[in-house]
Formats: sequence, structure tokens, C-alpha cells
Amino acid sequence: MRGALLIAKKEFLELSKDRKTLFFVFVLPFLLYPAIFGMVAKMGKRDADQNRNKASRVYLVDPSGALTGLLKADPKHFELMPRPEGDVKQAIRDQKLELAVEVAPDAAEALQKQQTFTITATQDESEHTSELALKRFREALRPQEKAWIQNRLQVLNASPQLAEPVKLEVKNAADTALEVGKAMGRMLPYLLMIMMYSGSMQHGIYTTAGEKERHTLLSLMATRLPRNQIILGKLLYIFSMGVIAALLNLLSMALSIPSIAGGSGSQGALGAVAAIANPVTLGLTFLIMVPLGLFFANFILLLGVQAKNTIEAGSAITPGIFLVIFLGVFTMMPGVEKMSFLSYVPVVNVCLALRKLFSQQSNWLEYWVAFAMTVGLAGLMTFISTRLLNREKALFNA
Amino acid sequence: MIRLDEVHKSFTVKDRKTRKPKRIDAVRGITLQVKPGEIYGLLGPNGAGKSTTLRMIASLMDPDAGRIEVCGLDTREKPEAVRACLGYLSTDMNVYGRFTPRELLRIFGEFQSVDPVVAERRGLHLLEKLDLADFADVKMEGFSSGQKQKVSIARALLHDPKVVIFDEPTTGLDVLTAKTVLDLLRIMRDEGRTVIVSTHVMPMVEEICDRVGIIFDGKLHGDAPPRDLLRSRNARSLDEVFFQLAAETEGGN
Repeated sequence: MRGALLIAKKEFLELSKDRKTLFFVFVLPFLLYPAIFGMVAKMGKRDADQNRNKASRVYLVDPSGALTGLLKADPKHFELMPRPEGDVKQAIRDQKLELAVEVAPDAAEALQKQQTFTITATQDESEHTSELALKRFREALRPQEKAWIQNRLQVLNASPQLAEPVKLEVKNAADTALEVGKAMGRMLPYLLMIMMYSGSMQHGIYTTAGEKERHTLLSLMATRLPRNQIILGKLLYIFSMGVIAALLNLLSMALSIPSIAGGSGSQGALGAVAAIANPVTLGLTFLIMVPLGLFFANFILLLGVQAKNTIEAGSAITPGIFLVIFLGVFTMMPGVEKMSFLSYVPVVNVCLALRKLFSQQSNWLEYWVAFAMTVGLAGLMTFISTRLLNREKALFNA
Repeated sequence: MIRLDEVHKSFTVKDRKTRKPKRIDAVRGITLQVKPGEIYGLLGPNGAGKSTTLRMIASLMDPDAGRIEVCGLDTREKPEAVRACLGYLSTDMNVYGRFTPRELLRIFGEFQSVDPVVAERRGLHLLEKLDLADFADVKMEGFSSGQKQKVSIARALLHDPKVVIFDEPTTGLDVLTAKTVLDLLRIMRDEGRTVIVSTHVMPMVEEICDRVGIIFDGKLHGDAPPRDLLRSRNARSLDEVFFQLAAETEGGN
């Protein structure tokens, strides 16, 4: 193992001499995520504030005046607009209006006769401001509607409770930690996989096909180090870079949470993240990351060393990221966790185990099956790598 | 000591025209012996099998048949031990541009299990001999091919190997640097090391080699001291011997 460690040390030393790569690997994540998340959160907050403080522009057609007073009484939320030129729907699509409300001409009469009248609301579901206008209208209408019902019941000398046979009280069984945990459980395996794969990809190409291309691999092979130690050293380096990239990116994202929480005003998010980030969850996450990272590193190593040059290696290794993205997205889909056979599908089972771990639904058997399968697979891949890459054809194929 | 006994090596390549695998016999039954304190020159045209032979001696490739012994060790059975006792340099090798020569030699000293203090001292000594000491702490990215070759030579000799294998060591070097390399080879011979060199440069072979072997089509011809070879072939230079052998090989084929 000494030889493998020496090779890995050489790779890290070589990396340490490249300031630009060091910056991109170790510094950029700490600047990028807070900057991106901060900017997105700030823009989101500004947009939300603007919408909250701005009255919705409503074109109201109410010949009998049944609802005009109601909307006029709330100028903070509704601004009644004159009829737009041309088509009303087009005016909403063009965002000249947020909502058009058409009340039946006989509304006042229907109210008096205790009959039903129709209100037609036209909105643009694709626009948040239009959705908000409809929500405001519903909220304004609800107490008015209740008042009308109560009046009718009074006329009939009936109990006000007649219109309300049941009261539904909703209690949330999930605490904030569980809600955030479920969201993170969906996202985290996906992020981990992408970061580990992409983090090790370029370094893998550089240290395998790159060494062949630069004609430096032969000088390593001419030393007394056994060939399998050279291969293992490179594997160790590729794996370490993947894990480092994943951990740094995640850490940077975690550090960006205050800016998101601050931006959206949800201070509880911080506490929730702190609640799920317990040592056991994080420890088990890291534990299963190790064989998964080794699996990826082996995949990259195998393709990298067999390639003649960096272009060929890049062309072979890059499509792997699409596979990783696909698997990640697939495991994020709702209902996937209920497909029990997926617990025996490599890589997918790691995502599912992590998802359940963060959702507080951990199934220990599933976790350890995923762990054992990934360890076995990584071990098998390492064995195949060292055997295949020992071949003269792979090493001299440049 | 280097000993090759009926060594064979072949490769399978794909014929682009017929799309069928084609067997190429790169080395066909080479037998030779190089003693300590001797420089052996291996000559031959491109693709004759020189580099393959040297790679097999350096235990970077295994022979298909036959046996190779270096420092009394079988290259197939003890490849790591063989590489520990030899220094190998070839034109296919390059240096790590991000490192300085001092850093590179320190790293390779670790690979070859040389004590760091000894590696530092020996490395600097070699760089001085090769007239590169002033560049010991300069990144090699901007080095000329000659400077890189000098660093590669220092790297190959860092662990004080008993056997030295140089595959075309003066390729791309200017006259002065080439002379430095030749002087170094002579010193190594005088120190009692076993040296084997492959080259195209005939005057160099005549000047420093104690014995010469010419490879044509994977076979070794004329394994003898240069003067004996000239006498036996009634030739005035090794170039002439080379052309005679080329004509014979073509005629034979």
C-alpha cells in the first residue's frame, strides 16, 4: 500500500502546483454557491415584497353592483381597472390586468330572492401575480359568502350551524425537521452523485489518459513500484478528489442556507437543517459515500487508462454524468421509494437508502444491503481495474 | 549483468485494410549478454525491435518466450526487483512540467526507496554533472527538450542503478549536451555498471560502445566489438555494415 500512497501523494503534489485548478476546486465553491443562492434569494424576496405590497389590477363587470363595494372597500389588495382595449384574456396574458371578474347581471336580484348567481373569474395560471389576485379575491369573497348564508338561515329561522355541519381541524404530523429532511433526502443523493462524479472526472482524465498523452506514465512504470500499486494510487487520488469535491460543494451549500433563509424570511429552515444534520445521519451518509465514490473512481480509471488520449477519455467518461443525472432524477421521483426491488439495484439503492435516512424512515436492512452491494461492487471494480490495467496493451496504448 | 536467452515478442494489430488481426513478430529469438563495465550498443532501423527489446529488459513488458535476466533476476518473476536495480530512459518519456527538477527527483527518490537526504544530494550532484544545477528550482514547463532529457537522465540514475538502459538518449539533443551524455555513459562504464544503449547515431556507437548488436526485423546480427564488426565485414564504417545488413535482410526476405 506504500506505493499507492506515494503515487497518490505525487498526484496531490502535482495538483498543489496548479494554482488555477486549486482555486476552482477549493475556493470557487465557497464563493459561487453563496453568491448564486444569495442573489436568487434576494431577487425572490424583492419579487415577493413587491407582489405583497402591490394591489391586484382587476377588471370587474358587475352591473347590479353586488360585489363592487366589496372590492372597493379593500384598495390595498384590489385596484379596479376600466375595460381594457381589445380582448380581456389577451390583456391578462399581456399582464395589463391580473384578473377579470364578471358577475351575473341579476346578482343583486338573485341575492334578494335567495337564489344562486354566477361569478366568472378569468386568470392566467402561468403567472404568479394572477394566481395571487385570484387567491385575494377568494379570500375577500369567503366572509361575504358566509354572511349571505347566515342571512338566509336567519330568514329561515334556522341555526347558523346548519351551514356548517363539520369543522375540519388539520394538525401537521411532520415537524420542520422531517419536512426539510424529506426535501433534502430527495435532493442530497442526486447532488452527492453528481458532485462526486464530476469532481473526480477531470482529475481522473488528467492522471490517466493525460499521463499517457504527456508521456510521463512510462517513467512511473520504470520505477520499482508494482504496477497494481500505481493503479491503486491513481484510484485513491481520483476517489479522494470526488469525495473532496462533494463535501466542499455540500458544505458551501450548507453555508449558503442563511442567505436563503434570510432571503425568504424562513428562519426556521436553519433550525430544521441543524436538526437533521445529526452525527448519525451524516456519518451513515459519509459511510455509504465511500464505496459509491470508489465505484465512480474505478469507472473513470478504467475508461481513462484504456483511452489513447484525453479527448478519447473525455468522450468516454463524460456521458457517464448523464447516466448519473438520470439515476439521480429517477430516485427523486415520488413513489420510487415504494418499489422494493430497487433496493437491489446498485447505485439506485444508495440513493433510496439516503432518501429514507433523511426522511426518518430508515430501514436498516435496506441501508446495509445497499452498503454491502456497493462495497462489493467497488471491490469487484477495483479488482477488474487492476487486472485490466496491468495489461501491456492498456499501458502502452498511446 | 544482462542476459537474454532466445527471447521472442509479438504483437497483434488490426489491419485497417483487411480488418483482420495481424501478428507482428517484433523480437525473434534474440540472445545476448552484457557484462558489468561494458557499454553495449543496440542498432537498427525504426521498428526493428530495439525499443521492445529494451522494454523487456527493463521488465516493462514480458517476453512471449525465452528468458531475460537482469542483476541475476528473472524479469518475469521479479519485475519490481529488476526495476530497482536498473535505470531506464527512453525517448517516450517526459518530465512532469509542474514540478521543478529538485521536486521531481525527490518524488522519484521516494518511489525508488532512496533515503531523502541521499536522494537530494545525489540528485543535485547529477544535475551539476549535467550542467543543470542552476535550474534545479525552476518549473520544468518551460524547459527545452534537451533540459528535459537531462532531468530524465538524472531521474533514471538517481537510485544508483547497477544496470543502465538508455533508449536513444541523444535524440533531440544539441552537440554539447549529447557529449555530456556520452561522457556520463563512459563514467558509468568506468564505475563498473552494465550499460545498454540504443541509437541511430553510428559515430557515437563507434566512439563509446564496447560491443554492438544490430537488430533487423526482430533478429540480432553481428554481436561483436565495433572494430571486429568492421573487420569481418570489410567495411570502413558502421554505416556501411548497416547498409550491408539491410541489403542481406531484404534479400533474405
